[in-house]
Amino acid sequence: MKDYRIVFEKKGISRYISHLDLNRCMIRAVRRSGLPAWYTEGFHPHLYLMFPLALSLGVESICEVMDLRLTEELPPEEILEKLNAVLPEGLHALEIHPPQKQAADITAAEYHLLLSAPDVPDLKSLWDAFFSQPEILVQKKTKKGVKEINIKNNIIIHKIDFQPPDLSLILRLPAGNDGNLNIGIVSDAFQNYADKPILVKSVCRTKIFSENYQDFF
Amino acid sequence: MLPEILQAHLLDVQKPSRYTGGEIGQIVKQKSQVDVRFAFCFPDIYDVGMSHLGMKILYSLINERENYWCERVFAPWPDMEAVMRQEKILLYALESGDEIRNFDFIGFTLQYEMSYTNILNMLDLAGVPVWQKDRGEQIFPLVVAGGPCACNPEPIADFFDLFILGEGEEVNLELMDLYHTMRRNGASRSEFLKAAAQIRGIYVPSLYEVAYHEDGTVRSITPHDGAPEKITKRVITDMNQSYYPEHVVIPFIETIHDRVSVEVLRGCIRGCRFCQAGFLYRPFREKSAGTVCRQGIALCEHSGYDELSLSSLSTSDHSQIEEILDQLLEYTAKEHINLSLPSLRIDNFSKSVLEKVTTIRKSGLTFAPEAGTQRLRDVINKNVTEEEVMRTCRIAFEGGYTTVKLYFMMGLPTETDEDIAGIADLAQKIVNLFYDMPVRAKGKLQISISTATFVPKPFTPFEFEPQTEKTEILRKQQVLKKAIKSKKIKASMHISDVSQMEAVLARGDRRLCAVLYDAWNSGCRLDSWEEFFDAARWYAAFEKNHLDPAFYANRTRSYEEIMPWNHIDYLVSKKFLIRENQKAHAAQTTPPCREFCAGCGANQCLGRPCF
Repeated sequence: MKDYRIVFEKKGISRYISHLDLNRCMIRAVRRSGLPAWYTEGFHPHLYLMFPLALSLGVESICEVMDLRLTEELPPEEILEKLNAVLPEGLHALEIHPPQKQAADITAAEYHLLLSAPDVPDLKSLWDAFFSQPEILVQKKTKKGVKEINIKNNIIIHKIDFQPPDLSLILRLPAGNDGNLNIGIVSDAFQNYADKPILVKSVCRTKIFSENYQDFF
Repeated sequence: MLPEILQAHLLDVQKPSRYTGGEIGQIVKQKSQVDVRFAFCFPDIYDVGMSHLGMKILYSLINERENYWCERVFAPWPDMEAVMRQEKILLYALESGDEIRNFDFIGFTLQYEMSYTNILNMLDLAGVPVWQKDRGEQIFPLVVAGGPCACNPEPIADFFDLFILGEGEEVNLELMDLYHTMRRNGASRSEFLKAAAQIRGIYVPSLYEVAYHEDGTVRSITPHDGAPEKITKRVITDMNQSYYPEHVVIPFIETIHDRVSVEVLRGCIRGCRFCQAGFLYRPFREKSAGTVCRQGIALCEHSGYDELSLSSLSTSDHSQIEEILDQLLEYTAKEHINLSLPSLRIDNFSKSVLEKVTTIRKSGLTFAPEAGTQRLRDVINKNVTEEEVMRTCRIAFEGGYTTVKLYFMMGLPTETDEDIAGIADLAQKIVNLFYDMPVRAKGKLQISISTATFVPKPFTPFEFEPQTEKTEILRKQQVLKKAIKSKKIKASMHISDVSQMEAVLARGDRRLCAVLYDAWNSGCRLDSWEEFFDAARWYAAFEKNHLDPAFYANRTRSYEEIMPWNHIDYLVSKKFLIRENQKAHAAQTTPPCREFCAGCGANQCLGRPCF
């Protein structure tokens, strides 16, 4: 038995595959690949795959993680090659690491958000105005109904670059067991703040972190 | 490539991967290398259409031809339809993202009558005129259809250029070949249609004039321009030689039947008199055990699916079923694959078959006795006896099953209240059997009864019969409710106006095209989805066209009446259907084809007896 942490990208139309569907899609891919997958013991054995951090529907990524258990040890290049031969358009395995950290170690993720607004002369100033509000309140649906929460303190602007009309933002948001902030909530809040239409040209997860912004893998 | 404007909206709709394509197994070709493009349209949403076996077969078959390209198209869910209409996105094919209005063929599969409004909606979304007469003389796009409901295509005849009757494996390619040649030679639409009508199995409705009697029944159906008097369905004679795909498209979302399936046989030996499929798909033909296993294993290996289903009208009637199960189970157990057999019959459900199935997974048992008393089961020729039901339940209970689902029909010909009470009696006997067993499975016993309203269909011995009206069905449901005594028996009795509309469209004539158009135009679509079916709109469309649904659904038709599908030949003769109808009224059964040939006529395509 040997565990492998597979890093893969999810781009293009594959960003429309939901997390649940991705799980089934990957299980079938591993089965097609001919890799010696390990199955759980018990009455209904199933192929063991683990995704430490889910990705929201519609968001691309260059750093998705999937843990796979094989019954025997294989060279990482062989695993990559066999998997990539059977993955659908947009999904591509990039590298393989030995799993060191646990899913529970994940604390944050980084996103590249590319915005554009032809009708807004200075999108950067608009963003600055948005972000200098004392609070950024968004509606959050909970089991008990709709709750209003302030997300401002959860957003860290790592980098900002304005090439009119495009505004490029690198944002770091909490992720993992102790709290998650969906990048879609941030872009929605900005779109709601603006009185002119703002287009999300692309949104991509670029990094997953453990404590103190250490790389997760 | 997806239309760009669409990408801005895909996150506003549910399950966006219904609309993206890009699945493993989809076939993409170089447009410059392609001569004929076929848009295979399933008139329901992706989740339903991607479960359909026939589409998988024909998709792969057409794409085997290097210069022909078949792509998939499904009906959008209303959220997506709203986006398409608002942004003026025309209906596109999933593989290329190209608008289907520029395709050579737009082909629909007709699986159930209540999908007809979706066809009009999809044509409209595609920017193609819904009426055939409005499509002009340009040869493409040709709007064509096949599938079981093509056996009476009259209620949708005016929307289609042509229909393909029977099995499509051979005739689809013949049709495309003819088109390929004629388009190169600059033929017009009407020239092509006249030529296509000469292919066996192709029905061009615009080449037939229908006249009516004053009472609304059909007086005559007259062909012109050399079209044949009778159009005969196509049949594949050798199932082992016929094309079957070993690669399929693997959807991202979970579909209704999310698994690979291998067809084990076509046709049915049973002759249940209410069952249209049992007559439409005659004659009975099997694949050999070796073919079934080879195809099943290949499908699993190429797809990565962990469920394989053996598909047919009655899988346990395969003469080598135990051999198939032995061979397949050896493979599926090793590969962690669940083998499912959706169509097992009560009477030949042997202990060894049950044991084989239960080695994989234990789920509920489902039986369809269809009628509550032996007399009525004899009427409908459901050759299942109470002893057989009990024997199978005993085996099942011994094998650890504790839930049994029973399916029945209501409103069958000659049905009385005694037959209705018989449904409750049968369920009660199963309850008693369970508690009388010395050793029984742990767990709670649950018997569920589900009843559906009988819909008479063309090419069955009951095509002459009236459908029971809704008020009478409601009364019968009360009779059943009162007859159920045990809390272990749960009855779900569903009623809606859908079954009357289904009965109307199943046996309707060409005048219904106008009704269908008005119903769609007033907002009807996705009628097989309960949340969208709107009876009031349908009735208003009938009224507007001075037609009465009861004329089509609830009227007894004489043996002499010219049916709207009189010019269509599905190989089972009307004489046979009349004979079977008379036997039904005398409560006489007809044995399965394997035991005794009842002379339906379907074997004429084989040129030999079926067995």
